[in-house]
Amino acid sequence: MREDSSYLIKYTSSGLYCELADIWIDPIKPVKLALITHAHMDHFTYGCDEYISTYETAVIIKERIGKEINIKAYDYEKEFKINGIKISFHPSGHILGSSQIKFNLAEEIWLITGDFKRQKDETCKEYEIVKTDFLISESTFGLPIFKWEKPQKTAFDITNWVNSSQEKTSILFCYSLGKAQRVLNEISKTNFKHNIYTHSSIYRINNCYKKLGIDLIDTKKLEQTKNNSDLKGSLILIPPSLNKSNFLKTFKDIQTGFASGWMSIRALKKRSGYDKGFSISDHAEWMAILKTIKESEAKNVFFYHGDSEDLKRYLKEKNSINVLDFEYKK
Amino acid sequence: MSLKKFSELFIDLDSCNSTNKKIRILQHYFSSNEALENSWTIYLLTGKKNKRFISGRSLKSLFSEIYEYPLWLIDSCYLKVGDSAEVISLLLRNMNTEQNMKYQDVSLNELLNKSFPELSILQEDDKKLRVKEIWENIPKENHLITNKILTGTFRVGVSIGLITKSIAKLINLDEAIISHRLMGDFIPSEESYKLLIDKKINPSELNYKPYPFLLANTFEKKIIDKPINTFQFEWKWDGIRIQLIKRSGIVSIWTRGQDLVNKAFPELVEQSSSIKDNFVIDGELLVWDFKESLPLNFSLLQKRINRKVTSRSIQKSLPIIFIAYDLLEINGEDLRDSNLEIRRNILEKHLYNWLNERKGELSNIFKISDLIYPKKWEEVETFKNNSRDNGTEGLVIKNKKSIYTPGRKKGLWWKYKVDPMQLDAVLIYAKGGSGIRAGLYTDYSFALWKDGELIKFASAYSGLNNTEIKELDRWIRKNTIDRFGPVRSVKPEMVFEISFENIQISKRHKSGIAVRFPRISKWRKDKLIKDADTLENAQKLMLNK
Repeated sequence: MREDSSYLIKYTSSGLYCELADIWIDPIKPVKLALITHAHMDHFTYGCDEYISTYETAVIIKERIGKEINIKAYDYEKEFKINGIKISFHPSGHILGSSQIKFNLAEEIWLITGDFKRQKDETCKEYEIVKTDFLISESTFGLPIFKWEKPQKTAFDITNWVNSSQEKTSILFCYSLGKAQRVLNEISKTNFKHNIYTHSSIYRINNCYKKLGIDLIDTKKLEQTKNNSDLKGSLILIPPSLNKSNFLKTFKDIQTGFASGWMSIRALKKRSGYDKGFSISDHAEWMAILKTIKESEAKNVFFYHGDSEDLKRYLKEKNSINVLDFEYKK
Repeated sequence: MSLKKFSELFIDLDSCNSTNKKIRILQHYFSSNEALENSWTIYLLTGKKNKRFISGRSLKSLFSEIYEYPLWLIDSCYLKVGDSAEVISLLLRNMNTEQNMKYQDVSLNELLNKSFPELSILQEDDKKLRVKEIWENIPKENHLITNKILTGTFRVGVSIGLITKSIAKLINLDEAIISHRLMGDFIPSEESYKLLIDKKINPSELNYKPYPFLLANTFEKKIIDKPINTFQFEWKWDGIRIQLIKRSGIVSIWTRGQDLVNKAFPELVEQSSSIKDNFVIDGELLVWDFKESLPLNFSLLQKRINRKVTSRSIQKSLPIIFIAYDLLEINGEDLRDSNLEIRRNILEKHLYNWLNERKGELSNIFKISDLIYPKKWEEVETFKNNSRDNGTEGLVIKNKKSIYTPGRKKGLWWKYKVDPMQLDAVLIYAKGGSGIRAGLYTDYSFALWKDGELIKFASAYSGLNNTEIKELDRWIRKNTIDRFGPVRSVKPEMVFEISFENIQISKRHKSGIAVRFPRISKWRKDKLIKDADTLENAQKLMLNK
């Protein structure tokens, strides 16, 4: 095996780094040049000199941070070169605009999955199987206890939850970007007949999605100042950061729910403090990670984002693939 | 089709926070199900002593062997989930089960009365095959329930009170009667359910059964506005609360936890049988030091409670005493609607009669709860503070006009406990919790100083709120020095105030002391570890108590 230092991509205190191209991927500190896999804020850092992302991601980032940044956008599959390294974005199925990033140097291919999922999601492009030599995969849900419900089933449960408690205001906590839009898309296919209100952060992203050609049902914007005590029977989407906030006190007779992959475990559901947990995730679970590794035909795999100890040991024992650890570089 | 129905009931109840809604759900379930299945449902929901057919550990190893699945991976999953039954049901989703649906409509009776009990007589290999067969023939959505029943860990947020209410509503009968019928051992059968919902009340069926206990509330300051002679004052004994019953000549001893404990206390059964009257007495059972005329530590009582056989020598080395404080029934007459003053009067009259008739013998085991007569509320305070002198843990204050009603009704009885003992101790070990606390470090061990060294003296699980638990969990992960299996030793840095009820010498512990009911009362972020208490301080507490 080669020395770690000869790897094309390394793991540093600022995030994943490609030395030959002098470019960081989703850096956590300001750097010169950053590739952004998707527009979630834990993958984006202010203050970089220059950003490169997919077209959709660039639009969403600009909408979210509300100011001009130096961001260059490429379409999916479109190859561009930095210092002679061929780089391209490929759909990762996580949220609208999310991408895997492929590096190609002298016929050696490296693929960073970014956050990805293999489930169907009409609000973004489906995950593309990319063949690679080296795979750097996320492992947020790297234990076999995770297995997602069909989103249709979860949507049906949400609809039922609202329908059967018309005497209450149903507040569903879900991330503003991606999860909220996917939930809206899925429940629009059920027999949901009541009003839907969305928090301004979600409302804005909805509009952004619509602008980018995603068909979403209309929702009403939740007014911050308005007295929210009379929204009985409606469904309200709010980002989880507002749980337990004063904002919630403007509602009367509420029931709360949380839409997240973590909610597929009863113990976590019980501990979450929400009245109800809905299992729906934009990440790949155990089986999907294994399937993705197999389909990528990678001979070497790294993991990042999440506990990967068990996944690594499992793959090592199976002996099917070379599991590598990043040597941490300051 | 009934495991299926029960599974749906579980999901409905589990995801419902409203008591009234739960009662409606239960009522609907009971009214649309067969008697035998309902009886098993009650058995499972009350979950008092659910039989364990397979341990959590063997469930995991069975799964590992059947599906050639690494046990270490199952254990990793367990750390996240905290419940073997749930882990296995989650992992089963990845397996190719549901080949044929032999058990699709299986009844609870079939499983609990036949399939599961049979497992225990099977050889290891046959057991594996049978468990595999069960898993692969039960719909995936019922795996959680199946595994929970198998491991005897079925719990859902339904109290016996809720079941009582829903049955009472179902047949439109008084709740007290239903709760009476549900007391003691509920053996599932068609008859037992039919008896439970029988609209006719048969006096003989009530013969062995205790009355629902009246429970004391915590002391409320506002009662001192009332004249002191409104109340009756007694010591609060630190034993087990029981109802001693003799009806039609048959004696039964029931604990508040609704366990029949005749076998643990045969001398009390014997002595009570020789009393001429029939009765139901509410009181406290203690292990007694006859020389000092003081109760012995609760831990000694624990040595007797769970006995199936109690030899003469144990009866002698751990002698018990029954302190009577209320009379609920005398010779078939229910006194519960009479007020406390009257009940006490009748109790005294009878008890002194019995003691007179059967000199010596009975007084060695029967005692009346002495009344205390404070003249002012300040004196109540003094009595309470001195209560440790006679081995009690405070006072019980009872409204003299109170009738005996089930549960913790306001305004009847109050317990006024002496302040707990407290020490400031240093956190040294943490262990992962299970169940609802899985994935978090919630079981803590604390130490006191001795000659410049920290010596472990107590473990506690409760007392912190969820925010604090999460905060401490993060701190523990960052400040781990060493790991031994699930236990982490942490940097000695955090000081906590630990409260407990009692302290005594113990040879089993390195510290030489054992405390009762230790719990965290405060996170002393303001204190440095050098400010924590010493073992010497603990020993002083022991001498002063």
